[in-house]
Amino acid sequence: MIESRESSHEAAITTRRLFLTRAGSVAVVVAGSVLISRTAWGQDAATPQPATAPGGEEMTSDSYKPVVRPAKANAVKQMDEKQLEAFERNLACPCPCTLDIYTCRTTDFNCGISPAVHGDIQRLVDGGHNADEIMAAMTQTYGDFILMQPRKQGFNLLAWFAPFAAIAIGAVAIGALLRGWRRNADVAAATRASAPVKIDPSIEATPDELARLQAALREER
Amino acid sequence: MILVGELSLWVALLMAAWTTTVSFSGGLQGRPDLVKSGERALYATFGFTLLASIGLWTALFLHDFSIKFVASYTSSNLPKIYTFTAFWAGQSGSMLFWALILTTYSAIAVFTNRKSNRAMMPYVTGTLGIICLFFLMTMCFGANPYERLDWIPPEGRGMNPQLQNPGMAIHPPMLYLGLVGTAIPFAFAIGALVTRKLDTQWLGAVRRWALLSWFFLTIGIILGMWWAYVELGWAGYWAWDAVENSSFLPWLTITAFLHSIMIQEKRGMLRKWNVTLVAMSFLLTILGTFITRSGIIESVHAFAQSPVGDWFLWFLIVAAVSTAYLVSTRLNDLQANAELESMVSREAAFLYNNLVLVGICFATLWGVLFPILSEWVKGDKITVGPPFFNAVNGPLGLLLLALTGIGPLIAWRRASTSNLKRQFTWPVIAGVATFAVLFAMGMRQMYALVSYLLAGFVFGTIIQEFVKGIGARRRMYGEGLFGASMRLIGRNRRRYGGYIVHFGVAILFCAFAGLMFKKDLTATLKAGESVKAKDAYGSEWVFTSQGISSFEQLNRRVVAASFNVTRDGQSMGILSSEKRQHVNAAGEPTFEPSTEVGILESPKQDVYLVFTGAVDRETAAIHINFNPLVWWVWFGGIIMAFGGLIVMWPQAVRAEREGGYVAELPSESAMTLVGAGA
Repeated sequence: MIESRESSHEAAITTRRLFLTRAGSVAVVVAGSVLISRTAWGQDAATPQPATAPGGEEMTSDSYKPVVRPAKANAVKQMDEKQLEAFERNLACPCPCTLDIYTCRTTDFNCGISPAVHGDIQRLVDGGHNADEIMAAMTQTYGDFILMQPRKQGFNLLAWFAPFAAIAIGAVAIGALLRGWRRNADVAAATRASAPVKIDPSIEATPDELARLQAALREER
Repeated sequence: MILVGELSLWVALLMAAWTTTVSFSGGLQGRPDLVKSGERALYATFGFTLLASIGLWTALFLHDFSIKFVASYTSSNLPKIYTFTAFWAGQSGSMLFWALILTTYSAIAVFTNRKSNRAMMPYVTGTLGIICLFFLMTMCFGANPYERLDWIPPEGRGMNPQLQNPGMAIHPPMLYLGLVGTAIPFAFAIGALVTRKLDTQWLGAVRRWALLSWFFLTIGIILGMWWAYVELGWAGYWAWDAVENSSFLPWLTITAFLHSIMIQEKRGMLRKWNVTLVAMSFLLTILGTFITRSGIIESVHAFAQSPVGDWFLWFLIVAAVSTAYLVSTRLNDLQANAELESMVSREAAFLYNNLVLVGICFATLWGVLFPILSEWVKGDKITVGPPFFNAVNGPLGLLLLALTGIGPLIAWRRASTSNLKRQFTWPVIAGVATFAVLFAMGMRQMYALVSYLLAGFVFGTIIQEFVKGIGARRRMYGEGLFGASMRLIGRNRRRYGGYIVHFGVAILFCAFAGLMFKKDLTATLKAGESVKAKDAYGSEWVFTSQGISSFEQLNRRVVAASFNVTRDGQSMGILSSEKRQHVNAAGEPTFEPSTEVGILESPKQDVYLVFTGAVDRETAAIHINFNPLVWWVWFGGIIMAFGGLIVMWPQAVRAEREGGYVAELPSESAMTLVGAGA
């Protein structure tokens, strides 16, 4: 009677735990997929993208926006050719090439945008603006989208730290797991050490030899 | 034949539906007749999908432009080989190609298991049936390759010139063979979960499939890199583009699985983890397909936006939820008696290897999805480009490289200190020596130096393993050097094939690090003018323009700029780069002009010249790149594939033995003793 009550109690615990694990995993998956799908549909409705693929649709230059600032008085160039190239490598081309401005314009994807953006930057450099000022002007017009990588501040810090955080958590979890296994091994070794080793009784050996064999086999385990 | 193909698609759909229904009900009710029927229906699904594919190829070769797919991707002047590969050049055709591979694989998997794994097979067949059904449904109701136009155009649009490249002819099939391959282990995992037969037996059935998938994915990814390098003209082979990443993600989880599977085989541990990895590989494949086909993320490689993408999302959700449900209800069955003798053991090394592989997988997926998350949370569109992926995955990659060297040196179960010292001495010396030599030669890039140090260490490890194994064979059997090497590998294909794969990986890392010394410049040259440039090795190059020429060739008009190239005064020949304007059969221009780059290839470096545009009839604007060690990427890829082939090669049962130089047990009586003791 008591036994059956105990087992049903145990069953209840298992089910509850199982239920929680299941509910948890389902929730994560659903939340993730809703997140993806919402954005996907939102994007569909808001911006019909001028996606160009090896499928071969028209390329539009809708996404080029002029960035113009008046030249400074007695303008002196703050960047040489090499610095300008390096600067352009940090800017994403707004065309769907997913490359940076410098790579895009020197590659020829028939992209009209990267040469135009390059022209703007060249004029800003000629007008005596420095790298920070040009970057500010660019992000003011295009938003952070123009940066090749997320800024390391605010919400975007999550982009940079989540992968390392996940791996750190994983490493700790593996450490705990290994320690658990290690304990299991110790416990098992202890139980085994106390039990005598079964040896085929048909073996012809003196009791002393059997004892040594026993010891050797136990050691082996 | 075209009509037969079109109808076959629908019959295949019905057959897949039948497979799914009767296999599951046959399994649940324990009725072998239904199970048999399900398996036969799966063979039929394969047969009809094959017919549907033959039908589409027929339409392509007969230039039946009443079919939208044929009219959109081919023209009557397209070279034959590309008419054949046009099959997978567009959305709906590539879906059919996918279904063709899937049904072929499924039929083979079911056929080879017709006598084994009987309890599990109904669910395996049923799961494969569902996946086939899904792909056939997306075609029949979403993107039908047989969709007709209201009118018959006199000529087709032709194929995008960037796809008219030998790399593009083989890259997609390889990639699909790899990606689709993840479906078979997944189906077996589901079968094992449903029947609760979660011991090591199901692993045996899927190991070879996982390897096959890994093998083709590796080749597919490397070929994709090669295509991007020679065709796209931006002088690189990997841009962390969403589509590139989506083929890389399942590769990482399969690689992790191929390592962790060894722990389950040897020790019976990690059951949950292995099921998870198999499921993740398949789900990541579907996620990748969703990313590629929905237009959700911008990419040069993406297919045009289409409603089919949403179908994949729903399929992904259903598959993920059902797998999660199955795993969570079977946690008790997956419980293993895990024991570990020491924290310093091969087992622990494998766990960390898995952590890093899955970590890279997570980081990459995170980078791909973060713009969506950011837009959703903050409403800002942001770019997560190559600098991010390099910054995050760079250190992780080096960690992985280090583990590649460490893992094989640590013994299973427990590694003693003296054992560690003996094993590590030479590899560490090899690594440090590499570092010292490069440093002395003037290399100061820390990242590259660490890469070469670790690569040297990995080479040291592998060479030491081979030397020990071969030496032991020569001593024990008195074999010659060649015979001993061949037999060493032949008798232990998994182990030594694996080392060869590691060798390829280390070569790849060396090649990646080489690109840190890349140099480039742009120039505008009239005929006869020249430009000077210094490469990373300090040699001086001179490029003298030979002018611009125009001519017609096959289905294109070509404008070519040629340059006389010298290195330190020595002639290196002529390097040309072309601009190609493709034309249709009527001679009208089709597509935007494309660029054919000129590459002077050598193991030391590639000189990569792009003709970016003609300023006037005589003057060419060019972009010159010196890309060190790129040749080794392709070479390393070949080595990896070769190693994979050795591992996969069927092994005679007799020879299956672990370890390179295991002594034969003297007699049977000793076996009984040990057996009795256990």
